[in-house]
Amino acid sequence: MTDYIIRRLLLMIPTLLGITIMVFTISRIAPGDPFSIAMGPGGQLDAERFADIREQQKKLHGLDKPLPVQYLIWLKRVATLNFGDSIKHHRPVIELIKERLPITLTLNLIAFVIIYTVSIPMGVLAAVRHKKLFDRLSSVILFMLWSLPVMLVGQLLIGYLCGPAFKNWFPPAGLSSNYADTLPFFSWLGDRLWHLVLPVICLTYSGFAYLTKQVRAGMLESLRADYVRTARAKGLSNTIVIFRHAFRNSIIPIITIMATLLPAMLGGSVIIERIFSIPGMGMLAFEAVTTRDYNVVMAVATIAGLMNLIGLLLGDIAYAAVDPRVSFESKV
Amino acid sequence: MINMTDKKAEQKNWGVSYGQMVKNEFMKNKLNIISLFFIIVLFLLAIFAPFIANDKPYVIRIEGKLSFPLFSSLTANDYVILLAACIGLCQLLLMRRNQRTIEPTMRGHVLRRQLSINAAIFIICSVMLYIFIPSKLDATDYKGMISSNRASDAVFAPIPYGYARTDLRKREQPPSREHWLGTDDVGSDVLCRLIYGSRISLSVGFVAVGISSLIGIIIGAVLGYFGGKVDFIGMRFIEIMMAIPVFFLIITIVAYWERSLFNIMVIIGLTTWTGDARFIRAEFFKLRNQDFIQAAVSLGLPIRSILFRHMLPNGIAPVLVNATFGVAGAIFIEAALSFLGFGVAPPTPSWGQMLSLGVSTTGRFLWWLTLFPGLAIFVTVLAYNLVGEGLRDAVDPRLRKAA
Repeated sequence: MTDYIIRRLLLMIPTLLGITIMVFTISRIAPGDPFSIAMGPGGQLDAERFADIREQQKKLHGLDKPLPVQYLIWLKRVATLNFGDSIKHHRPVIELIKERLPITLTLNLIAFVIIYTVSIPMGVLAAVRHKKLFDRLSSVILFMLWSLPVMLVGQLLIGYLCGPAFKNWFPPAGLSSNYADTLPFFSWLGDRLWHLVLPVICLTYSGFAYLTKQVRAGMLESLRADYVRTARAKGLSNTIVIFRHAFRNSIIPIITIMATLLPAMLGGSVIIERIFSIPGMGMLAFEAVTTRDYNVVMAVATIAGLMNLIGLLLGDIAYAAVDPRVSFESKV
Repeated sequence: MINMTDKKAEQKNWGVSYGQMVKNEFMKNKLNIISLFFIIVLFLLAIFAPFIANDKPYVIRIEGKLSFPLFSSLTANDYVILLAACIGLCQLLLMRRNQRTIEPTMRGHVLRRQLSINAAIFIICSVMLYIFIPSKLDATDYKGMISSNRASDAVFAPIPYGYARTDLRKREQPPSREHWLGTDDVGSDVLCRLIYGSRISLSVGFVAVGISSLIGIIIGAVLGYFGGKVDFIGMRFIEIMMAIPVFFLIITIVAYWERSLFNIMVIIGLTTWTGDARFIRAEFFKLRNQDFIQAAVSLGLPIRSILFRHMLPNGIAPVLVNATFGVAGAIFIEAALSFLGFGVAPPTPSWGQMLSLGVSTTGRFLWWLTLFPGLAIFVTVLAYNLVGEGLRDAVDPRLRKAA
């Protein structure tokens, strides 16, 4: 097991290098640079001075060297956890990420917990009531939710619940009210949660469908198994058969999904953070790509990739921990 | 007469092909048929968009002379789309005919030949169309001509607005009898833009999925067949691709390169092939050691033939199912990109971009600009997902029994 983890961790290094090389190349060979965007093409400056300033800026940020050299310099810095400065914010990238990452993580973790607490009972119930009304109804509704574009839901929520159009229940944007800093802790927390309600709704609803379907499929399979029939034949109560015998055995796919769901949600939060103007990682990524803030783009890609890989690894480890039949001795 | 009955009897003996089995199974579910029907309607809307929504009349009499502005203002794009529709229809009819007249074992060869001939015709004709049809801009105000009595006897399309026609006096108006679904921030008709927007969504869906399936199949086939070192290196590459959050990668690329439909299609295609590659790889691992592949190898067939003629037909079903979901996914990604402002440049209409206008720059909430484009995306994605679900159940007999 330890062997396996070490091997996997070592394999993560080339993968991570591959990710950074890919994003680095994509962002650098594209036309344009951050300074032209910041200053506009020409503007009040005449062309010659503009070009001059741009060259100076490029030199300052080390963008005048050949690409492979730039990449190696970047790599050397990152090895010491220094992601460089943001060209737009004039601050170290690591500071920006320290500010933004917790916001996105909280948002996603809340959504994650809600998805699991709703989906698992629903999936189990749907499997137990196989082909009954609840099963059919829930699968139809969840399927529709799954196809519902988050942009539509987000804007409808903002339009109807945050303004004069219908009800003014929730704040339309941001993470906390202007006066939040003056509040005592619990009111501050309440204010924060009040701001998080709508974004969390947007993050969760599409996840329900996917997870519920998996839980239902797993449960259906184990409910048909011989050991469940045996358990029933022994005269065990229905609850014990379902939760002790069937559910425990159908838990494995749920765990593997956990590993893939979280990173996917991080990617999806770009849109949600944009709609609700939440200053999280998604927003940072969005700003960085539009202003060509190279260091920020690279840092976001690296961190997102790293989290993805760690998620996959944790999923595999949890898989082995839950299912004694799984052994990694023969696998890569 | 005898000949006819003979032929019928012979057909019975042919039995049911795999494709027909899947089709029969698929058609059993009413919901599947409805979704398929909806998608066909959507295609018809996209193909005939200029005839349904256009600010130029079919026929108009200007100073005593009849003219046909709608037809003369069709662009090369419109013609190519119509051409593609015609050829597609011919192909479908041919396939129906094949089923009646050609033996199942021969159908594959005939179909391949028909497809390649049709593709060749399409490519040659569309290149000719692009070369010979000049792009022109007919900005004549025909409605103004009628109201000032310079023209008469005009027959307009059911939705008499152009997607690029702006009217600042009528901006951000809610649905009315004049504009059924309201107007957007520059006064264009929302319904008209929705109809033209279906072109973008459908073409993005198909081209992107085509690209990603092609890449996925080739890479998956090579990895699965050769195994060993090739497979190890290839899988590391696939892992890299999977570890990058796809949406982030896409916005990075889209933000950096020129905004065009072509770029968006290619980028979505280039970033979403990993699932297909893994499917095909796993399938080829299983197939590699089977007798018929061993036989093909020992016959000395070229590798291309073994991979794509002998192995691929046995492993393609899951990819086809995946492709249907892929179309839904690509439509969604395109809408999200347009929503974020990375989509095709206006005035080309796109559902995601229209949706983003739902909250105006002044912060006003315009429900018709949120609801209608949003519903268009929703219903299209839903229909594709339903078809995908139906296909999966129909293709996989194991699931069929379980469900």
